[in-house]
Amino acid sequence: MKTRKQGKEIVLTGKAAVEIQLKRHRWYRVGSIYLVLLLFSFLFIGPFFFGLISSLKDNPLEWPPKLSVNQLKPANWIAAYKLGKAGSGQGFFGEFAPGAVVPFTVTYQVPAGQEPIPPQVVVSKRVPGTAGAALLIEHYAADYARVSTVEEVNREILVDQSIRVTYHFTIHHTGNVVCDRLPVDLTVPFGQQFIKATIDPNRPHERLGRVQSWNNLTSGTIPYIFYNYHRVFSENYSRTTGKQLFSSWIWNSFVICVARVLTTIVFASMAGFALARLQFRGKNTIFLLMLFSMMIPAQVTFISNYLVLRDGVFGLSKLFGVDTLLNSYSGLIVSGLVSASAVFIMKQFFEGLSPSLDEAARIDGASTYQIYFWIFLPLAKPAIGALTILTFQGVWNEFFWPLVVFTSPQDRYTLTIGLLSFRRMYGVAFDWGPILAGSVISALPLIVLFVVFQRYFVEGISFTGIKG
Amino acid sequence: MRSIKEKIAPYVLLSPYLFMLIVFFGYAFIRCLYFSFTDYDLFSPPQWVGLKNYLNLFRDFQFGLALKNSLQFAVIVTGFQTIFALILAVVLNQKIKGIRFFRAAYYMPSITSSAVVTLIFMWLFQKRGLINYLLTLVKTGYPIILTFCVFTLLIQAFFIFIEKLKERPVSFFEPSFLFLSVMLSLMVTLILVKTATVTLAEGLAPIETVWLNSKKRWPNSGVLGISYPLGSIMVLNIWTTAPTFMLLYLAGLQDIPKELYEAAAVDGATKFKTFWYVVRPQLRNITFLVVTMGFISTLQMFDQVAIIGDQAPLDAVITLAYYVYINAFPSSVSPKIGMASAAAVFLGILTLLIVLLQKKAVKS
Amino acid sequence: MKKSFFGVCGVLLLVVAIFSTVSAANVQVRISGWGGSDQAIIEEMLRLYVNPTMEKEGITVLYEPIADDFQRYIVNALSAKTAPDLFYMDIFWAQSLIQAGQVEPLDNYLAKSKILKKEDFIPSLVDAFSAQRKVYGIPKDFNTLALFYNKDLFDLAGVAYPDENDTWNTLATKLEQVSSLDGVYGLALQPEYARMGQFAYAAGFQTFDQNGKSNLSHPGFRAALEWYTSLAKSRAGIMPADLGQGWGGGAFGTEEVAACIEGAWVIGHLKDQAPNLNYGTTFMPKAPSTGERGNFIFCVAWGMNKNARNKQAAFKVLEQLTSPEVQQWILERGLALPSRVALTDNPYFKQNNREAYANYIVFKGASEGIVEPYSFGEYGGRWMSPIDEVLRAIMSGESTVEEGLREAQFRLDQEMQR
Repeated sequence: MKTRKQGKEIVLTGKAAVEIQLKRHRWYRVGSIYLVLLLFSFLFIGPFFFGLISSLKDNPLEWPPKLSVNQLKPANWIAAYKLGKAGSGQGFFGEFAPGAVVPFTVTYQVPAGQEPIPPQVVVSKRVPGTAGAALLIEHYAADYARVSTVEEVNREILVDQSIRVTYHFTIHHTGNVVCDRLPVDLTVPFGQQFIKATIDPNRPHERLGRVQSWNNLTSGTIPYIFYNYHRVFSENYSRTTGKQLFSSWIWNSFVICVARVLTTIVFASMAGFALARLQFRGKNTIFLLMLFSMMIPAQVTFISNYLVLRDGVFGLSKLFGVDTLLNSYSGLIVSGLVSASAVFIMKQFFEGLSPSLDEAARIDGASTYQIYFWIFLPLAKPAIGALTILTFQGVWNEFFWPLVVFTSPQDRYTLTIGLLSFRRMYGVAFDWGPILAGSVISALPLIVLFVVFQRYFVEGISFTGIKG
Repeated sequence: MRSIKEKIAPYVLLSPYLFMLIVFFGYAFIRCLYFSFTDYDLFSPPQWVGLKNYLNLFRDFQFGLALKNSLQFAVIVTGFQTIFALILAVVLNQKIKGIRFFRAAYYMPSITSSAVVTLIFMWLFQKRGLINYLLTLVKTGYPIILTFCVFTLLIQAFFIFIEKLKERPVSFFEPSFLFLSVMLSLMVTLILVKTATVTLAEGLAPIETVWLNSKKRWPNSGVLGISYPLGSIMVLNIWTTAPTFMLLYLAGLQDIPKELYEAAAVDGATKFKTFWYVVRPQLRNITFLVVTMGFISTLQMFDQVAIIGDQAPLDAVITLAYYVYINAFPSSVSPKIGMASAAAVFLGILTLLIVLLQKKAVKS
Repeated sequence: MKKSFFGVCGVLLLVVAIFSTVSAANVQVRISGWGGSDQAIIEEMLRLYVNPTMEKEGITVLYEPIADDFQRYIVNALSAKTAPDLFYMDIFWAQSLIQAGQVEPLDNYLAKSKILKKEDFIPSLVDAFSAQRKVYGIPKDFNTLALFYNKDLFDLAGVAYPDENDTWNTLATKLEQVSSLDGVYGLALQPEYARMGQFAYAAGFQTFDQNGKSNLSHPGFRAALEWYTSLAKSRAGIMPADLGQGWGGGAFGTEEVAACIEGAWVIGHLKDQAPNLNYGTTFMPKAPSTGERGNFIFCVAWGMNKNARNKQAAFKVLEQLTSPEVQQWILERGLALPSRVALTDNPYFKQNNREAYANYIVFKGASEGIVEPYSFGEYGGRWMSPIDEVLRAIMSGESTVEEGLREAQFRLDQEMQR
C-alpha cells in the first residue's frame, strides 16, 4: 500500500482503494437489501395489521379507510380513564354508579350569521339490537340519570366570522343501582357543526350531522379501546348454561388440538418406524396405498366418513353408551387420529438415521418394541417437535371436517366454525367489528406459538419433502 | 427364526394407522364409488341407477362451471405460488443479520386459518375497501411517482457520469449510488409535494372495482376468462401458500454445495446464469413436490368459497369441491348423495391424472 | 343378621322403586331451533314461562340451539333418528320435510287442546304450513317487508313522505326528487328476488302457475322487473354493493339512501348502528295495473317429529311455547312479531315511537294485499338464483331487460329440470 501526498489530498491507490470501494459497496448493498425486505414485509404483514387496526374501529367499513382510529388516540385513553373514574371511581373498567357526577365538555361551530344553540343532551334508553345483548341489560341509565343545564363556557369568533362555542354540562346518577353503560346523544340544529368533545363520539354524524352519539361515556379505558372485543365475549352468552361461547370455542379447539397432537405423535412414530426400519409382508403395498391416499381429495371420503361417524363407527360406540359420534369431541378425534403426511414425515426421518442402529441392538437381543421405544423414539425428538407444531397448526385451523361433524350444540364448536357462525350472525347486519375482533383473537395463539417455536416450523416443513 | 411376537410386531405398530387407512380411506373410497352409482337421500336405502349420475353431471351446466373454475384456479395458483416461493426463497437466502426475522414475517400468511384470512380479505376487497383505495392512490398519484422516478434516474446518472470521468469502472446499477440517489430523490419529491408544485392528479374517477359481487371476467368472457371473485380468491391463496413452499425451497437452497457456486463463478457466470443453470436443476425434486402438493390442494379448494358465501355469485366461484358439498347438503331439498359421490369420484380421477401427467413431464 | 340384611335390601328396593317412578314420570322433551338472537329469546322464554309450567306436569324441556345451517342439521338428524321432538320449520323448506313424511300432523291434538287453536293464528301463516288440509306446524313468529324511509332526508329535499296510497309511479317520482340531494340516492335496490318478488305478486304474477311451471314472461313479472331495475338508471335507486354495503339496511343506516325495503329485522340493526336515525315506515306501494300491493311472508313454525317418543308431552310443550302470555312477552320486549291474531290490537303497537309503528306496519303486512309465502317448493334457493343474477346484471348495466328475461327463463327452466 502506497500513499502519496498530493497537496492537501491523500489519494489511496492500489489494493486499499479497491478494498474500501468493496466495503462501501457491501454496506450499501446490505442496506438496500434490508430496505427491500422491509418493504415486502408490509405486503405480508399488512393485511393482518389492517385487520387489527380496523377491529378497533367503530365502523370498520368507513370510507376512505383511515389509519387514524379514535380508539388509538392517547387523548381518548386519558379522557376515558377520567370519565370512568367520574362514573364509578374506577378508571380502567368503569360503570355508571349511584352518586356519580360525570362532567362533559363539547365544542360546536356555526357559520357566520347563524346563532349557536346549546345542544340538547339526552341519556338515551338504548336497547341493543341483538336479543342476546338486549336481554343482558338489567338497568338502564336513562331511568336514573339527570342532566344539568348546559352552560356556555367559551365563545370564539373566527376570522371568517363563524362562531365557535364551548358548552359544559354534568350528568348525575340519582338512583341507587349500578348501570353498566351510559349512552348519550347530543342534538343540535341543522348546520351547527360538531368540533370536539371531552372524548370522541362513536357516531359523530347521525341525522346528517345533527346528532353525536356515544355508546358508553363511563366505560373506562379498556372497554373503550377494545369495544368490539368486549362485544365478542359478552354478547355471545348461553343463557341456559351460562357459558360464554367464544371462550368455549377457544377451549374446544385447544382440547381437540392437544388430543390430536398426542395421538398423532404416538401413532405416526410407531407407523413411521415400522415402515422405515422393519421388513414385513405388504410393506410396499401399504406404502403405495398411503401415497395414493395423499392424492385423493377429502371430498371423496367425506360422505362415507360422515356416515361412519353418524353410526358410531359400525356401532362400536354403543359399547361406550353413545349412539353417534357426530357433534362430539370423540368423533373429531377418532376421525383424525393420525394422517398420512404425519406418518410420511416420521418415515422419512427414521430412514435418514444410521442403518447400524438397530443392527447393534438386535445383536444384543432386543425386541422390536424395545428398539422402537428405547432407541429410535428418543432420537426422533426434532422430528416430533416439528410434527407437534405442524399438527397443532393444521388442527387449529381445520375448517371443512369440523363443519361437517358439528352442527350442535353451539358451545361445542371449534374456533374456525364458531367464526363462520359469527359471520352469519353479524354478517347479516354487516357488523364487521366483532367479526374482525374474533378473527384477530383466533389468529393470536398460533402467531405466538410460531414466534416462540419458529425454528421447528421451518424444520418441520423441510422434513416433509426434500428427500422425497 | 423369529418368534410370533416379533413377526406381528410391525403390524401392531402399524395398527392405529392401518385402522385409519382402512376405515377412513379404503372403505370410504369404495363406498364413494358405490354411492356414485346410486340414488341416495340419506333417509331411504340407496337405489342402484348405474351411470345416471355421471350422465347428469355432464349435462349439468353448474358442473361445467365448477370444472372450469377449478382448472383455472389450480393451474394459475399452482404456477404463481411456485414461482413466488422460489423467488422469495432466493431473496431470503442471504446470510445477513436478522434474516430470521424476515423469514418469520414472510411466513405469517401461512399460519392463520383460512377462515381468518378469508374474512380479512373479504373486508379488504370490498368496493370501498383498502385495495381499491390503494389502487386509487396509485392512479391519482402518478405525477408524484413520475417525479420520483425521473429524479432518481437523473441523480444516479449524475453520479455515474462523475465516476466515469474519474475513469473508474462502475455499472449503472451501482448499489451505493443507487441508495443515495433514491434517498435524495425522495427528499426532493417530498419538498415538491409539500410546496404543492407537484400534486395528486385531479378530476380522475376513483377506482371502484367490484371484486367480489361481480360476474365480470378478465380478459374476456370466453373459456379463458377468469371471473373477478375467483381472481380475488386466487390472489388470496397465492398469498397464503407461497410462504409455506418458500420454506421448502429455502431448505433445498441451503443444501446446495458451495462448490457448485464457486465453480460457476470461476466460469464467469452472471448471477442469473448461475441461478438458471446451476441452482434450478438442484431444486428439481423440490419443485416436483411443490407443484404436486400445489395441484392436489388447489383442486380441493373449498373453505374460501364457503366463507365468502353469498357475497359473490355462486357461478363465478364454485369449485368442484364445493359442488360436491352442495349436492351432499343442499339448502332446501333432500341430499343428493349419488350426484355428490359421482362428482367426488370425478375430482379424484382428475387429481390423479394431473399428478401423473406432471410426473411424466418431469421425467422426460 | 339375615333379617336386617333383607330389611336393608327391602328398604333399598323400595327407595329405588320410588325414585324410578318419580323419574319415570319426568318426561324429557327436546326442542331445537337456531342460534343467534333467537337463542337468547327462547332461553329466556323457557326460563320465565315454559319451564315453571311444565315442571308441574313432570316435563323437562331440553333446548338445543344450532348456530349454523339448521336445515342441514334437521335433515341429518331426522335421517339418523336423533332429531328433537319439536323443531323449527322455516317456511322456505318446511314443505319438503312435510312431503317426506317427517312431520306429525297436529289436527287431532289441536282439536282436543284448550289453549292452542288453529283459528288463533294469522291464516296466511297457518296455510303455509299445511298440506292436504292438515296442519303440520304452528307458526311462532313472522316477518314481512315494509318500506323504511329517512324523514330527515325527505324533509331536506322538501318531498312528501311515502305513504300507503303511493303507487309504483308516485313512489318513483318521490325517490327521484329526494335523490337530488348531494351524496344521496333514492331506494336501496338489493338485486334479489326476495326484495323484488313482492312487486311481481302485486301485479298478478304467481311463482308456479297451474301446470307447476314458472312463466317469467307473465306481464306482472315483466312489469315488476322493468320498474325495479329502472330505478337504478338514475339516482332514484342504487345497489347497496355499489355503496360498499352488503344489504339495504346497511346503506339505509349510513344515510346514503333515503329508503330501503326490509323486514322488522332492520329495526334491530338500526338500534345498534344508527340509534338516532329518524325513520318512518309504510306499506309497499300499489301496482298500477291491479291497484294491489304485494308482500312476502317469512315465517318459522314449530313442527313435531313424526318419530317423537312422547307426543302428548311434546304437544303440551308446544302449547306453552306458543301461548298468548309468551307471545305477548315477545311482542312487548320488541323481540319478534308473534303470530296470534289477537295481538293486532295490543297496546304495544299503539305506542308513539317509530319502532312500534314499524313493527305495526310489518305485522299488518301479512294481511295487506297479495301475500305469498317465501317458499319455492322443492327448488328452494335455486329458483331465485337465476333471477338474482339477472337483476344484478341489468342494474350494473351489463344486460338489458329483454336479454335478462330470456336468460333468467332459460336458466330457471334448466334448474327446474335438474
